[in-house]
Amino acid sequence: MVTFSNGYLVDNLADALKIRSEIDVTPYAGGTDLMVDAKEDAVYLFLNKIPELRRIYSDEQYLHIGAACTYTEIFENSLSPQILKDAIDYLAAPAIRNMGTAGGNICNASPKADTALIFYVADAKLRICNTSGERILPIEDFYVGRGKTVLQKDELLVEILVPKQGLEHYYYKKVGARQALAISRVAFAGIFTTENGIITRCAMAFGSVADTVLRFRDLEALFVGKSIAEAKSIRSQFIANYEQAIVPIRGRVSAEYRKSVCMNLLEDFLTQNGI
Amino acid sequence: MNGQIHFTLNGEKVTSDRHANERLLDVLREDFKLTGVKCGCKEGECGACSVLLNGVLANSCMVAMGSIEGSEVVTIEGYSKTKRFQALSDAYAQTSAVQCGFCIPGMVLACEALLAKNPNPTDAEIRKGISGNLCRCTGYNAIVEAVKIAAREGKGLW
Ligand SMILES: Cc1cc2nc3c(=O)[nH]c(=O)nc-3n(C[C@H](O)[C@H](O)[C@H](O)COP(=O)(O)OP(=O)(O)OC[C@H]3O[C@@H](n4cnc5c(N)ncnc54)[C@H](O)[C@@H]3O)c2cc1C
Ligand code: FES
Ligand code: FES
Repeated sequence: MVTFSNGYLVDNLADALKIRSEIDVTPYAGGTDLMVDAKEDAVYLFLNKIPELRRIYSDEQYLHIGAACTYTEIFENSLSPQILKDAIDYLAAPAIRNMGTAGGNICNASPKADTALIFYVADAKLRICNTSGERILPIEDFYVGRGKTVLQKDELLVEILVPKQGLEHYYYKKVGARQALAISRVAFAGIFTTENGIITRCAMAFGSVADTVLRFRDLEALFVGKSIAEAKSIRSQFIANYEQAIVPIRGRVSAEYRKSVCMNLLEDFLTQNGI
Repeated sequence: MNGQIHFTLNGEKVTSDRHANERLLDVLREDFKLTGVKCGCKEGECGACSVLLNGVLANSCMVAMGSIEGSEVVTIEGYSKTKRFQALSDAYAQTSAVQCGFCIPGMVLACEALLAKNPNPTDAEIRKGISGNLCRCTGYNAIVEAVKIAAREGKGLW
């Protein structure tokens, strides 16, 4: 461990968690959110040299992505699912992708976070640790509002667990002002799976419209267990439910615009799946 | 005892007494007088402050000093001593890709990072590679052309 003025550099997770439990520090992964309005008195805990946070590996069920893996590392890893690579491909520019991390994207808790959107729709879980143990929670349980998470002062996000199966049939669109550097205005991700003509999954997540990424599992359930033809017959009801559920916030782009983009993307997703 | 920060800068081992939360950009310009590293925004948007950090492109305004302990930093001042730089520089001259020059140190390093990964980039790949480096003068076409010339005439360098 190295102690600097205004910072701690550690090379293993145990030391990092010990510091988290004893000192009030700000975890620093890639710095691409933190350094934009860097505080002069910030005391950082540097995570970029902790091997446990930088690996990508898979077990039977999950792909484990270390919280401090950079976008470039995730993009270049052959284990990463294509839906995640697509989102990274449209995210910022090379220099930001070389430093920015998936864990930072999640913990910064912006509704615009492009990879958090993918983790939502993919049913990813977060492995969070402190010195006494770990807890694993679905990503949607991590957020309590814009910029607010359930992460405790003594905890670190260690890994993102992405299910290995079922992400092949996806849809991803980001509607932004410019491609590079465009923090998404509205982004949409969907996953659609059928088995023997029956819909087994119709997941959708919306970025940049509300205080957090939006996903409505109860509304998705309407299609599950139905044939494409049956789904088609209740398409307008399905859409109307979302029309009601999505309550956009006022941002730089008008609320109405954001919402109509959302609805267009949702409809396009359904159409592309034959509904 | 609060430790110094050690890193390699343009091939030389150096130390810094700065706080761990200070920007690499400020340290390079103010302490090491490497003024080829430009400051255009301090928000990660313009790329004028680009350096190579452990071989990859990074915006030095977005890097806190404590994170670079033990790392290798190359600025345009160090890079300009290489054959690859010469190839890029000649190509930029051929297409008149430099106007005011403010973006150029960062732009050249972005081109280096691109060519190091992809020695034969397409137009689209070049535009993507330099997408984080803003240039308000040239309209980018001459730069894209220059990268293609450098890739061709500097064959074997990357
Ligand atoms: C020019 C520019 C363009 C951008 N474009 C996009 C874009 O298109 N899409 C997008 O989604 N984002 C974009 N961003 C935002 C940013 O790059 C991402 O959110 C990035 O993923 C942040 O990761 P980081 O490692 O740099 O985070 P950091 O800045 O290091 O940290 C962000 C927050 O997370 C906390 N944190 C980090 N890691 C952990 C951990 N393991 N455990 C607990 N807390 C942690 C930090 O304390 C901090 O609060 C852009 C940023 C810039 C500057
Ligand atoms: S000064 Fe660093 S990106 Fe603009
Ligand atoms: S030459 Fe002037 S900003 Fe690029």
